[in-house]
Amino acid sequence: MGSKSSSLNKIPNAQELMQETGFSAAHILRLYERFEFLDVDQRGELRPEDFGAIRELSMNPIGDRIISAFFSPGKEAVDFASFVRILAHFRPTETNRTRDGAQPEPANSRTRKLKFAFQLYDQDRDGKISREELLQVLRMMLEMQVTEEQLQSIAERAIQEADLDQDDAISFDEFRKSLEKVDIDHKMNIRFLS
Amino acid sequence: MPSRTGSHSPTGTGKSLPERGLLLLMVLVLLEGSVLPLGAASSPDISHQKNVDNHKVEDEKNYTKKAFPVLDLDYHHIQTPFEISLWVLLASVMKLGFHMIPRLPGIVPESCLLITVGLLVGGLIKLAGEKVPPVLDSQLFFLCLLPPIILDAGYFLPIRPFMENLGTILMFAVVGTLWNAFFIGGLLYAVCQIQPANPSELHQLEILPCLLFGSIISAVDPVAVLAVFEEIHINELLHILVFGESLLNDAVTVVLYHLFEEYSAAGTVTVLDGFLGIISFLVVSLGGILVGAIYGILTAFTSRFTSHTRVIEPLFVFVYSYMAYLSAEMFHLSGIMALIACGAVMRPYVEANISHKSHTTIKYFLKMWSSVSETLIFIFLGVATVDGPHHWNWTFVTVTVILCLVSRIIGVVGLTCVINKFRIVKLTTKDQFIVAYGGMRGAIAFSLGFLLKKEQFPMREMFLTAIITVIFFTVFVQGMTIKPLVELLAVKKKQEAKRSINEEIHTQFLDHLLTGIEDICGHYGHHHWKDKLNRFNKKYVKKCLIAGERSKEPQLIAFYHKMEMKQAIDLVESGGGVNLPSAVPSTVSMQNIQPKKPPPAKPVEKALPKMTKGREEEIRQILRSNLQKTRQRLRSYNRHTLVADPYEDGFSELLIKKQKMIELEKKIQHMNNYLTVPAAPPDSPTMCRARLASDPQAYSSKPAAERVPTIQVDLASPQSPDSVNLMDEFRRADQQEEDQGLMMKPPSGQSGPNRPGEEDRGREQQKLTRCLSDPGPSADEEEDEPFLP
Repeated sequence: MGSKSSSLNKIPNAQELMQETGFSAAHILRLYERFEFLDVDQRGELRPEDFGAIRELSMNPIGDRIISAFFSPGKEAVDFASFVRILAHFRPTETNRTRDGAQPEPANSRTRKLKFAFQLYDQDRDGKISREELLQVLRMMLEMQVTEEQLQSIAERAIQEADLDQDDAISFDEFRKSLEKVDIDHKMNIRFLS
Repeated sequence: MPSRTGSHSPTGTGKSLPERGLLLLMVLVLLEGSVLPLGAASSPDISHQKNVDNHKVEDEKNYTKKAFPVLDLDYHHIQTPFEISLWVLLASVMKLGFHMIPRLPGIVPESCLLITVGLLVGGLIKLAGEKVPPVLDSQLFFLCLLPPIILDAGYFLPIRPFMENLGTILMFAVVGTLWNAFFIGGLLYAVCQIQPANPSELHQLEILPCLLFGSIISAVDPVAVLAVFEEIHINELLHILVFGESLLNDAVTVVLYHLFEEYSAAGTVTVLDGFLGIISFLVVSLGGILVGAIYGILTAFTSRFTSHTRVIEPLFVFVYSYMAYLSAEMFHLSGIMALIACGAVMRPYVEANISHKSHTTIKYFLKMWSSVSETLIFIFLGVATVDGPHHWNWTFVTVTVILCLVSRIIGVVGLTCVINKFRIVKLTTKDQFIVAYGGMRGAIAFSLGFLLKKEQFPMREMFLTAIITVIFFTVFVQGMTIKPLVELLAVKKKQEAKRSINEEIHTQFLDHLLTGIEDICGHYGHHHWKDKLNRFNKKYVKKCLIAGERSKEPQLIAFYHKMEMKQAIDLVESGGGVNLPSAVPSTVSMQNIQPKKPPPAKPVEKALPKMTKGREEEIRQILRSNLQKTRQRLRSYNRHTLVADPYEDGFSELLIKKQKMIELEKKIQHMNNYLTVPAAPPDSPTMCRARLASDPQAYSSKPAAERVPTIQVDLASPQSPDSVNLMDEFRRADQQEEDQGLMMKPPSGQSGPNRPGEEDRGREQQKLTRCLSDPGPSADEEEDEPFLP
């Protein structure tokens, strides 16, 4: 439809984005509208404060982590393309899409989804979730309702269970292995992005 | 009662020959014995009664003195309870019997065998010339036999998969059942009307009775589904789909049944009636759920106050649930949905409030009752079949069977096409086949047919025959073949493993993540509402319904607590070795008790985190040095150097002992508060005291080497060896404290020298001894459900 394609033209690099992430035109449009809604200063990019304005997000225990996941290390703002790329992780996995070897793994593959989640734990990007990082996450999730000893015990046990190479930290492979029974494809999906 | 002396040749092979023979003997005796009293139900032993009466009358008139009756037979006094017990006993013995026969349970599902037994018993009764008691009388069935099964299903319903697939389940239940009913009813009518030249009795059948019949026969039966699916261990998704459908289609069935029954007399159904029917459906289903939820909340609230009367906790669960069912039935709402709602709503709160033992009691009672009910239902089906009255009509019956199959397949396939557009995880052809094939009919259909009045429905007998044929077909043919088909099609089986703490943590994390992303996208989806519900639950509901501190306990902590408990129990059961490899918790005795689940593959030992080598060495050092110290003291043993002279002043010894006990108790309390939010405080002080005073466990498994060569006070002393040991423990404990600052507590000495240093162990063993007598919640996938999804 004419109107749609013209509004699609407003979006820079819309076609490449669609190609790269697999979103349809309607999705890109919708995400762009949301982006503009969040971008109160009309700067064309989002800052952490813009995210912070979302009320429910501020109530989320790991809200801050999620926000920081949108921003690559060092950068203070996220443009629309990055915004869409991050959200592409939450598209439902397509099982029967044939991929030739040349294409990079799509953003919504199971591995990429897990990697995204892993990076939320692993703040210092050393490829492992150390005990301290796990404790931080637990503290955030349990919201001060437990004592330090309890946290320590839980973290201890979690690492015990997952840590196969005995390095007292959880690597990405161990992380993936511990979640092999969980249906990630089902869990990490936002429905309307299908 | 006559009894046969054994002239039976035992069947079966192998070593348990005498056992089998005995069992067979018992079974036959029971059968024989049951026939007569049950038959006697309808033809009472009038003569005997009359004699007694006569005697009595005569006595009164003549006062002739008779010999005092030393032994008298008065069957009627106990007749009804006796018969009921006999039936239940028969059912249970049959169940036992099946599992003794080697390969049979694998090939033939239990339900088939039970129906066969019912046929046999019915046949025997008929042969004996007695009248078969109307056992599947709808009162008995709907009020007594069905509720336990449904409550069991509802209480242990896996909420998370159920909610995730709710849309699909509802589609199958509502639209699928409607489709089935109209398709079968309509086509049957059409078939009955063909051959106008050759009028048969079928032509009398009107459209409305046909539709009524269609609605009766179209509903998938939860009892039959449960009975068969329990044995094939199919993956969770399929299980919940078929099972959920069988539960939720009750509302549809109730409405359709009443609608058609009401208007069968009138002969027509107008659009208005149809509209009212739809409204009625909404009222029936939502009303049923509401009634159930109200009772569920009542139960949860009541359980909040039961901390002082733990013994009757299970009673509240059962009685409130039953009342929910009855109340719903009173208003002609859907009783099944009420029960499901009641069980599902009350469960998280009740489990947070009740003790371990009550939990176990509820679980086992529910399983027991539902098992017995199910067995009885199938046996009665067999008996009722023999009873008749039957009216076999080839056309009608065969067409019905074929139509049932066809409509189910078309229905499932058609609905899946529509549903798959909305599902993330699509249903494959294999899944569809299993869902279609698993649509079994059962006793509910029969009872509903039985309820029809003969005057209104002259074709009632024909209906009953057809219903029974369909039931037999689905249970026997489909029931027996579904297992090999599942193997053949390589359908995914149920995953046995338990949830690890990692999964729990990460799943929660992902939940939060998804909620956050949804908020960023501005999309009010699934996660958003779930999160809102959780928040509401945490803020308001839990405070009201959960007693004390537990209301603030976060889900993760509760889960962790449960895991640790299970593990500690497993450790004790497996003997508590020194060096246990890390793996999945053992499930040795707890799983064995469960009637329906098969024993797990292998008991693997697990444990508590290992200590590093250095630490172990350290502790060994400490112990060794301590041992030396006491030995030294012992060498210079002199009755006067002991703190308290055991030969003389027993009183001072007692005082010191008491003092030490109090101190120790304080320490234990202090320890106890570490790991958990104090749950069930009334237990701990008493248990602690009991443990300290007389628990043999605390001392039994201590290796001899470690035990301080105790002052073998030879028994002129009033003290028991135990109390002297106690003294030693205290002394040693104190010494440890003074010397090393290490808390070495006496009960923790129990698992060997390598562990005592860890505070965790001490704590766990306390929790352990608290629940040693009762295995507690067993390792079960139902258990692993977090309180709220």
